Amino acid sequence: MIEVGPIALAAAWVFAIYAIVMSLVGGWQRQRDFIASAENAALGVWGLTLVAVVALLHALVTHDFNVEYVAHYSSSTLPLQYIVAALWGGQAGSLLFWLCILTSMSAVVHLQNRDKNRDMMPYVTATLMVVALFFLSMLLFVTPPFQRLAITPFEGKDLNPLLQNYWMTIHPPSLYLGYVGCAIPFAFAMAALVTGRLDDVWIRTTRRWSLLAWFFLSLGNLFGAKWAYLVLGWGGYWAWDPVENAAFLPWLTMTAYLHSVMIQEKKNMLRVWNMVLVILSFLLTIFGTFLTRSGVISSVHSFTQSGLGPFFIYFLVFMMVISVGLLLWRLPMLRSEQPLESMLSREAAFLINNLVLVGIAFAVFWGTIFPVISEAVRGIKITVGPPFFNRVNAPLGLILLFLMGVGPLIAWRRSSWNNFRRNFLIPGSLGLIGGIVMLFAGMGNYYAVLSFSFCIFVMMTIITEFWRGVRARQSMLSENVGVALLNLISKNRRRYGGYIIHVGIVMIFLAITGTSAFKVEKQVTVKPGESFEAGRYTLRYDSTEAWEDPHVAHLAANIAVLDGGKQIDVLKPEKRFYKKPEQPTTEVAIRSTFGTDLYLVLGAYDDATKMATIQAYINPLIGFLGWGGIVLALGTLVTILPTRAPAPAPAYSPERGTRTAE
Amino acid sequence: MNRNLRFAVAAALLVGTVAYLMYTGVTQTSVYYLTIDEFLVKKDTLVNEGVRVAGRVQTGSVTRRMTNSGEELNFRLADFKGDTKGDSVAVHYIGVTPDMFKSEGGSDVIVEGKYVDGTLRAHNLLTSCPSKYEAEAGASAPSGE
Repeated sequence: MIEVGPIALAAAWVFAIYAIVMSLVGGWQRQRDFIASAENAALGVWGLTLVAVVALLHALVTHDFNVEYVAHYSSSTLPLQYIVAALWGGQAGSLLFWLCILTSMSAVVHLQNRDKNRDMMPYVTATLMVVALFFLSMLLFVTPPFQRLAITPFEGKDLNPLLQNYWMTIHPPSLYLGYVGCAIPFAFAMAALVTGRLDDVWIRTTRRWSLLAWFFLSLGNLFGAKWAYLVLGWGGYWAWDPVENAAFLPWLTMTAYLHSVMIQEKKNMLRVWNMVLVILSFLLTIFGTFLTRSGVISSVHSFTQSGLGPFFIYFLVFMMVISVGLLLWRLPMLRSEQPLESMLSREAAFLINNLVLVGIAFAVFWGTIFPVISEAVRGIKITVGPPFFNRVNAPLGLILLFLMGVGPLIAWRRSSWNNFRRNFLIPGSLGLIGGIVMLFAGMGNYYAVLSFSFCIFVMMTIITEFWRGVRARQSMLSENVGVALLNLISKNRRRYGGYIIHVGIVMIFLAITGTSAFKVEKQVTVKPGESFEAGRYTLRYDSTEAWEDPHVAHLAANIAVLDGGKQIDVLKPEKRFYKKPEQPTTEVAIRSTFGTDLYLVLGAYDDATKMATIQAYINPLIGFLGWGGIVLALGTLVTILPTRAPAPAPAYSPERGTRTAE
Repeated sequence: MNRNLRFAVAAALLVGTVAYLMYTGVTQTSVYYLTIDEFLVKKDTLVNEGVRVAGRVQTGSVTRRMTNSGEELNFRLADFKGDTKGDSVAVHYIGVTPDMFKSEGGSDVIVEGKYVDGTLRAHNLLTSCPSKYEAEAGASAPSGE
């Protein structure tokens, strides 16, 4: 079975080249049969990639340890879900998986556009196949996944224990889906540039793809955070590690893009800017894929260094030259004449939101590659750590949060004082009052005060929006509240889905603010029977217990949690010693109450004295990170799911009470 | 005033803010990141500076002891050959020892701290798993954050 793998990849490589040549020639010479043949070849690449993936999966599931990849990343006792996860647990497999998602999405695009966008499709095919060709070349010539071993080992080395975790199983697929999803709008953008069809057809065609990419990028980042929080045992979920940043960067530019396309669709402005954002997002996904594999920038999360680095750089530069070249060539056609009419308008709010998002992206990018830059310029590596990212991004994030309240409600073109008062008087006052109350209550962290009052402001604007919409439906159609709310959302999914996403983002802001401003951190070394304080809890180290199962030896500390002198819980943070890849790991113990976590780590343990070092963290509001993620996902689904034919129904608009076509 | 100009001013303000935040961020939070070889060459110029040094723990140089504020580690940090002959620097650390730190030495680590009185006083000790994804330490240079 495994022999099929390399053959399939080699055939796919040939097919990809054929598809590129035929689609370009066909597009240029307007040869329909060439284009059709190229599209069939692209489907062929998809089929062949699937064959290769199945071959590798088959080798993993049947424990064919003669295959180097299988021997490296799995073992005969590894549970099935992690055997599947091993497919993307290693360098070569993850590239194959990336390719598989790319070709699958490309197949869907080709099937969707059988009878649509015929003039653009050849260049869409060519762009997607160039990307596929790059990954195929890596898999064939640099990191082949089907390498055999001279001697078949008796047992595999197993998947790294840190990766044997539910969240780590779903984090890479979702991130890759997000990464690859960015390639689709990029391909259409390239096609629009080549063909000169620079109206918003390419944007409308790829609206769902962009949202889907954004959806998976959001989830990927959140899953990664969840994994880091549960597995890495340092009490936090985000460390501004280069690899985390690599996944965050395209998210930022895609977020900016999703907002700025609305301006292009409504006002036909920002056409160049949208192109730039799509190109940037795509290049950042390749950069992210590269960063995790190159070893150029050190990170705890990176794959081992390999010969891949330079090839990724060449590819990145190649794609950059082509896309920027096309953009410059079409620049005269792209310029839009629509001027900005007022600073107090939705356009202006969106523009500033875009600038802030790109500003954050730039700062994060700069901070991530700073060691490389400083080495090139000054000959010495200088790193900037989390303090840099926090200092820069906290104020920018607050501006963004504030704009999230303003943007959706301010009128297009030019806002009147009346519109302003109508939409912002109550939310603004409530936010202000909230802030003043917090200050009087003695909250000393001004960032936190600002953040919480902005959260109140934004939430209130959203609630007012829903309330007014429901009221309008109730009075006009006499629906009851529940029906009115459901209809309101389903009749204007894009708008209300967007609001729901904003609610999710506000919740995430709550979590970030709570954990960064009010985190309690404590580290003590205690003897059995000793107690210590952490926040409102008293923690008593009672004893340890040890047990073994075939895979792992466990050592747990029993820690009684007392609140007001009363014992409310016993937490058991563990040290685990995996036997196969001999490796100790830390298993944290968490007690969640109303979004606030008590998080315990058994740091060190001395067998002779029974002394244990315990780290205790209290992470206020951290639960909102997950809940916010769920709300965000639901909101995105609301906007993505296909809309049925629009029914004529009154919907309330924030500007003048007319129905908006959003 | 021209409205586009007004927007340009707002944009310039914003760009200025980002630039200012980044500039102060870099000047106030950056640390030198060196491999042990670079560090050993330059160490006299780095006294009392914040540094981050990547190297390998010298085999047999580790002593560990439990204290009230965590485990105390003393070891010598050497280059990635990790043998006992080469040049090295003493490291002192109290805190939680990372899971992957081996008592017998030989772990690839990143030490964050200050170089004082001929000793690297670490406030943070990170083990770079040879790689989280690769089971074997194939790389010659460290990866770690």
